[in-house]
Amino acid sequence: MLNIALPKGRLGEKVYKLLASAGYEFPGILDNSRKLVFENENLKMRCFWVKPFDVPVYVERGTADIGVAGKDILLERNPDVYELLDLKAGFCRMAVAAKNDFYDDPEKILRVATEFPNIAKNYYAGLGREIDIIALRGSLELAPVLGLSDVIVDIVETGTTLRENNLSVINFIADLSARLIANKSAYKFKENEISNFVKVLAV
Amino acid sequence: MNLRLRPEERAALNLRSLYEDCGYSFYRMSRFEEYDFYADKKDFLTSKSILTFTDINGKLMALRPDVTLSIIKHAKNSEDVQKFYYDEKVYRVPKNADSFREISQAGIESVGALTDENVREVIELALQSLEIVAGGRNFVLDVADAGTVSKLLEDNPNRNEILKCIAAKNIHGLKALNAPKKIIELLENPEDIEIVNSIQKHKDKIRIDYSAVSNLNYYNGIVFRGFIEGVPESILSGGQYDGLMNLMGKKNLRAIGFAVYLDLIRGEKNA
Repeated sequence: MLNIALPKGRLGEKVYKLLASAGYEFPGILDNSRKLVFENENLKMRCFWVKPFDVPVYVERGTADIGVAGKDILLERNPDVYELLDLKAGFCRMAVAAKNDFYDDPEKILRVATEFPNIAKNYYAGLGREIDIIALRGSLELAPVLGLSDVIVDIVETGTTLRENNLSVINFIADLSARLIANKSAYKFKENEISNFVKVLAV
Repeated sequence: MNLRLRPEERAALNLRSLYEDCGYSFYRMSRFEEYDFYADKKDFLTSKSILTFTDINGKLMALRPDVTLSIIKHAKNSEDVQKFYYDEKVYRVPKNADSFREISQAGIESVGALTDENVREVIELALQSLEIVAGGRNFVLDVADAGTVSKLLEDNPNRNEILKCIAAKNIHGLKALNAPKKIIELLENPEDIEIVNSIQKHKDKIRIDYSAVSNLNYYNGIVFRGFIEGVPESILSGGQYDGLMNLMGKKNLRAIGFAVYLDLIRGEKNA
């Protein structure tokens, strides 16, 4: 039995449609029901929706053999898993943004609001800059506008929300997209199933 | 006496008798070492956090985070091949954990002017150790040559990023980092490693897999990682670490060994 963790939401549904078109179907999985686990007896596969941020946890601990997770989440959680494919979906960037008139005073500790404290810490540690992390759960743009933080470290897709709030990108951190990850141990013992799966998604 | 042993206890006893039969002598480590002993050897510690306390004479002491370092200190500075095994608790902060844990570890170290035969013996014992802890389940030993990777990445500015990608089999990441083509080849289509070719028993359980290469500051030659079915992380890890011998004044000698993480053994079979 191959266990697959898909991220709830648009990205997961997109990946599922790719799977379905290649014959990996799980009837009812896209219906809006409360059901969480879907099994296909013929394929010997089980699929379940989890919160996108939790996919690496399920895979690293082996509850799921493979999963789909954004690179942002992998950089933040740094799980010990195989990253087998760039699924080339959900493209965006991790970036630092600030108010248009932001002046970076090197003598002050930089206040950084983010949903990704590890990414922010690593990035600024690499620059040797002391920062004060303000961990938030969304609506990041509000932080610099109201003066809660100097900058934000966040995912930027089109930049529209930033512009509307008079913010702009001042530094680029990483390119992001969805990745196929696998548990290291499962990869050894379910090699065929997993490599078939990789082949389907690689096209 | 009717004593029912837990699976990890039984495995530990079986491992000890295996190592004993192969001429390894038991090494009993004291629970504490002076903290200074570890301070300049952090490259050779799996977990950087050390549990410390001040002894009554004012000395800063460490609750053992590792056994290998103490064995190397204990070993004679001699070309004679010395073989040790241990079965101890160590104190570490596991990855993603936020406090210290007591971790059960058994393992062997073989040090001195090692021949290929000595190295092969350690790999063979790794395979047999896996058979014991697997308890009837399937197992695999990933083997790679860290020396090859080390040479390919000499002076590479992206060395650490590339190493992360190697451990994750992240080919797209390696391409983005402009990693040497040879590295990608080693991951996708690895060449044979001579020293494992002549292993007979459990030959079918050996995989040449370069994702086993992790810490190049620690390992300089053969590295290996063992997995058993149903356990999500590697249960055995080891390799050749001549650098530590050098660092501890035992020049031009070699060392190879591995540890088995006994806490990962579970009785039930995972479906």
